[in-house]
Amino acid sequence: MPARLLSDDELEEPTVTPSDPRASARSGSPRSHFSSDIPVDPIATFVDVLLAEQRDLTAAERFAFKHRSGEIPSQARYYRNLIPLSKPGVGEQYAFEVNLDQCSGCKACVAACHSLNGLEDEESWRTVGLLIGEAPEKLGADIGFRDPASGTRHQPSAPIQRTVTTACHHCADPGCLNGCPVLAYEKDPLTGIVRHLDDQCIGCQYCVMKCPYEVPKFSKRLGIVRKCDMCSQRLAVGEAPACVQSCPNEAIRIAVVDVAEALAVGRPSLPGKFSKTVPGKGARPPNPFLPASPRPGITVPTTRYFSTVLTTSTLRAADEAALHPADPHLPLVAMLPLSQLSVGLMVGLALSGSLSALKTGVTVSFIAMSIALGVATLHLGQPLRAWKAFLGWRKSWFSREVIAFGQYHGFLGLFTAVLWLKPELLTAAIGHPASGIAALLGLGSVFCSVMLYADTQREFWSFGRSFGKFFGSVTLLGLAGSGTLLDSSACWGATIAVFLAKLATDLEILRFLKVPGFPPLKKSALLITRRFSRIAFARVAFGICGGVLLPGALLVARHPFGRATGLVAVLLLLAGEMCERFLFFAAVAPTKMPGGISA
Amino acid sequence: MTKPATSPQATVLGNALRSINGRMTTELVQVPGDFGLGQVPSRLAPDATTTSVCGFCSTGCGLKIHLKDGQAVNLSPETDYPVNLGMACPKGWEALTPLAAPDRATTPLFRGADGVLRPVEWETAIGAFCDRFKNIQTEHGAHSVAWIGTGQICVEEFAFLGALGKFGMGMKHGDGNTRQCMATAAVAYMESFGFDAPPFTYADFEQSDVLVFIGANPCIAHPIMWQRVLRNPNKPEIIVVDPRRTETAVNATQHLPLKPKSDLTLLYGLAHLIIENGWIDEGFIAESTTGFDEFREFVHRFTPDKVAAETNLTVGQIYHCAESIHRGKAVSFWWTMGVNQSHEATRTAQAIINLALMTGNIGRPGTGANSITGQCNAMGSRLFSNTTNLLGGHDFKNPVHRAKVAGVLGIDERLIPHEASWAYDQIMDGIDRGEIKGLWIIATNTAHSWINQNSVPDLFKKLDFLVVQDMYATTETAQLADLVLPAGGWGEKEGTLINSERRFGPVKKVSRAPGQALSDFNIFRLIAHAWGCGEMFREWTSPEAVFRIVQQITAGQPCDITGIEGYQMLDECGGVQWPWPAKPYGAMESRREGALGTDRSRNPELQNSVPEQERRLFADGKFFTPDGRARFVYEEPRPVAEPTSPAYPFVLLTGRGTSAQWHTNSRTAKSAILRQLYPANAYVEINPEDAARLGIEPNSRVEVSSPRGRIVATAFVTGTVQPGQIFMPMHYAETNKLTHPAFDPYSRQPSYKHCAVNLKPA
Repeated sequence: MPARLLSDDELEEPTVTPSDPRASARSGSPRSHFSSDIPVDPIATFVDVLLAEQRDLTAAERFAFKHRSGEIPSQARYYRNLIPLSKPGVGEQYAFEVNLDQCSGCKACVAACHSLNGLEDEESWRTVGLLIGEAPEKLGADIGFRDPASGTRHQPSAPIQRTVTTACHHCADPGCLNGCPVLAYEKDPLTGIVRHLDDQCIGCQYCVMKCPYEVPKFSKRLGIVRKCDMCSQRLAVGEAPACVQSCPNEAIRIAVVDVAEALAVGRPSLPGKFSKTVPGKGARPPNPFLPASPRPGITVPTTRYFSTVLTTSTLRAADEAALHPADPHLPLVAMLPLSQLSVGLMVGLALSGSLSALKTGVTVSFIAMSIALGVATLHLGQPLRAWKAFLGWRKSWFSREVIAFGQYHGFLGLFTAVLWLKPELLTAAIGHPASGIAALLGLGSVFCSVMLYADTQREFWSFGRSFGKFFGSVTLLGLAGSGTLLDSSACWGATIAVFLAKLATDLEILRFLKVPGFPPLKKSALLITRRFSRIAFARVAFGICGGVLLPGALLVARHPFGRATGLVAVLLLLAGEMCERFLFFAAVAPTKMPGGISA
Repeated sequence: MTKPATSPQATVLGNALRSINGRMTTELVQVPGDFGLGQVPSRLAPDATTTSVCGFCSTGCGLKIHLKDGQAVNLSPETDYPVNLGMACPKGWEALTPLAAPDRATTPLFRGADGVLRPVEWETAIGAFCDRFKNIQTEHGAHSVAWIGTGQICVEEFAFLGALGKFGMGMKHGDGNTRQCMATAAVAYMESFGFDAPPFTYADFEQSDVLVFIGANPCIAHPIMWQRVLRNPNKPEIIVVDPRRTETAVNATQHLPLKPKSDLTLLYGLAHLIIENGWIDEGFIAESTTGFDEFREFVHRFTPDKVAAETNLTVGQIYHCAESIHRGKAVSFWWTMGVNQSHEATRTAQAIINLALMTGNIGRPGTGANSITGQCNAMGSRLFSNTTNLLGGHDFKNPVHRAKVAGVLGIDERLIPHEASWAYDQIMDGIDRGEIKGLWIIATNTAHSWINQNSVPDLFKKLDFLVVQDMYATTETAQLADLVLPAGGWGEKEGTLINSERRFGPVKKVSRAPGQALSDFNIFRLIAHAWGCGEMFREWTSPEAVFRIVQQITAGQPCDITGIEGYQMLDECGGVQWPWPAKPYGAMESRREGALGTDRSRNPELQNSVPEQERRLFADGKFFTPDGRARFVYEEPRPVAEPTSPAYPFVLLTGRGTSAQWHTNSRTAKSAILRQLYPANAYVEINPEDAARLGIEPNSRVEVSSPRGRIVATAFVTGTVQPGQIFMPMHYAETNKLTHPAFDPYSRQPSYKHCAVNLKPA
């Protein structure tokens, strides 16, 4: 309705007829507050009184309960039977135990984790998902009922749903801990609780990639990840974790489990760790951990899920068809192709044996690698702590990559310095072995990059795919770079061939579009073709320009701007590889616990 | 905190370079919280605690508020509160979060000539409120200004609003959004029992051996009630009557997935089977009811074959259900919105009541025909909002009642109208006809929740002045207002709420309202003062003062609470269920004293003692009707208002999607934690058969259309809905663009649960 400002007429109080009984109740009350003849506005005064009253908090004084201030928390009566009486013994650890049949789906555990741990606004270490499917109808014959009209009744199966609450599984072989480059994870030798050392974390988020269950969560405010520690401070004093305390239906409890048993269930035959699943070929055995969740062999989760329906039903995650782009990790999108350009160039120089191009080549390679490393630190939430990243070298491919690239970059730096400051040292006897060493260090570093991703067990990042992409980039960018430096037709010819081969392997993922269901690789293919079709197009377009058209032009006719054209080709190829790497990160479908309805 | 032990994989160097403690680690350190709390985050350690009942749903859980300098810093469920036994649903856990939302209304907002809402001072706002409404009343009559309230404010605020609106401002029509949830139960109880009197107490969940849930999904809608069901030690038979395979149906021992809105037929069919097999309680029927013979005659033709055909169930399913009810020693019947939101809702609720009556399942532990309420204070709205009933469950038409209420309030009896207000839909029609020109909306979100929501903006354009009083200026409805009054919410004021089991529970002021926001109570005081009827409300100075007035009004009513000594007593007793009279009962002859289950007047030991924490009604088979007998009320089932058709071949069911959304999501959406517990955007549950037939991929976009609107949402393909039916959660604003405005003729409650739609890939 069109609003109007009040006119003077409207500001007059409406007349009240004497017969109006309300008039009697008005005696003594002030006339309209709008009347200009009243000097002190009583409404304003009353507003002030009310506002002052509103600010006065009374509950503490008038009602504060002196709740029992004894040692034993009052809630203990509800959770006393939900936590173990004794600490784990040798070969044992604490674990969550979830009875899915008791869970009603209220999700209080998520909110309680947030509140009782004082987490950030959006932070909770527990999440919930939903399994849907069919299970045999439990009604009818089994309770002795017979339909008088038609004999036995009921369809053989009925729809079921089960809410799945999940937190850290405090794995027997934790991926987060194994992958952490700075040893910011501890698996407590007594309790088996996997704890995160917040002040040690550099915020690299490699644990997020390593955890098959999406447990560690990155905090932008702190620049680190945080995760569930099974409320170890509570357990230490005999209190139940927040989620256990808050479940109205006692669906979550803490149990003591035998670690060897967990390993036996999770890894019935150890080689299974790297077993590949070929979509559409052969039925996988039922997941002993939980349907529609990652293979337990990856990290051996200790949480145990119980339900009468798990063995008799076909359950799938409510979000199995949902497409969620992953974090594109833009600094890494730049870092990886740049480092691979650097290495490719060094390999080209080493193989060509050219001394003339060495100064320019090594310098470019060094600059590319320097930019790569500089950009990479942008990826860290706590870059000032990054110097510790070598600590995890015994298990972490992240540490190994850092060490390897560190050596490579250091060597390149030295090499470059020599080339510029002491060019007289540049003889074949020194130049060739130095190039070779740099190339080998670089190749080793790229191998570490490959392993870093392959070790996450994500199917889109399998060893084969990561190896193909990363070393494909090394070869492609190395050839084009060398072609530009050396002005070599052979290089350009090879560039076209390698580009086409790499494009073919990159497009390999699209064959999963036709696979039934929603396995991770199909989701990656769908993300690439639907959500990120423009980037996929850009990847092909940049690649064809830089990997076919310009090299082709250079092959057909040499012209005075050959080197400049070559440089353009290299940059276009680099852009194409960055697009490919964006898809590598954004279109990965991480393994995860069953999620809720997604819309 | 414990120091991490050295793990084998860490080297000596590694350990030396590890930062085990520091600023970030300290953030999560816990300390003993005292007050029986156990470990709490050190940052949030309280210096006092107090108990307040939750302000979301009608379960009415007790929450232990953690206070620091009088201000709430955190909360946890109250261990000893008799309702929730130390537990809460996610909404309860997050109850404080919506108070701190950045979009709280902090000043009054007035829409200028340019159509923009701008902050104004309270004096200006209240001046505009009074002048505009008075002008409308002068021009169009006193009744041309109406209000639409809520079930979310306190009893004292309802009483103030109702008295101010009708006795002070001369309005005739006011209603609440409780019309959308509880009107049916109120009317059904009124006709069947003689008073709007849900008979149960939550202990009944634990004491039944057969529980029948009709159109109720407590797993999601009332998780704390389901907690009580799971504590039932009798391994109960749990029967769920619902077209969908809900969370509750999955956990039931019997699920009757009936055809939508065939519940009345099913219930009559169950009555038929129970009567035919002689499974009735003849003694109770003879002693305590009237109208059974006619009812027996009426249900005679609801034969199993006919009922099976009309409900899409098998004869066996129906028979098994009836037999289970017969076998139960303590059978309780529970219903909620699946029943209440129907075109024949009142009769359906009464068909449930009839089953309880004929089998004698009432007044004993574990029994009852029990309406699970929706909003935290729906019962406060029903009894004390002065809309459908005169204050305190009185009758506007009854001169004795008018005289009594006028006497207690010290007002001229002529101020009290002789008839009840229009219902919500009639007020909306009144706006359409131009009879209502000014509207005051308090704590509800009509532009989201009204059935056939599309009509609301155009309807409101017909108003001369629309005032919205709310915590947020961002609700769909506030955005349409001419004047927004910033209200303090739950936790920012004192008062009482009445839960599903008739329990008055106290809410406390534990947080400061932001900016210039005032509690609804204080806004009513301010308006009373500015309107010029301050004298009438001279004694209405604080919520507790109004509570005492309300108590006096209830004297002699079934909901008599004159025995409650004040807020302190409510606090110490874990709330008090009505009735709790001060004097021996029977002040009104029409009310049979025996109807009060635990009658203190008969038991001297109970006089002036603390009330038992769990009490139920009708222990001696006496009801609140003039003759003390419960009525069998029934009527021929009617076809749905909008059957499916070739153009609209699907039935759209609506309802609650998660426990984490509430009341058009105006408050719950403010919590980042709650937002993680439900999909961000609208979705439609579709049976796999229908999805396959229509070529709808899981998680693809689909278009749902009804004759009223067209929306696009995400497909969730699931067998939990039957073929030919789709389900949409009501908390997405899109949903009510589709719903069909049909109403139960007795309760005027909208029929949200059934309309015809079409479905296709978007």
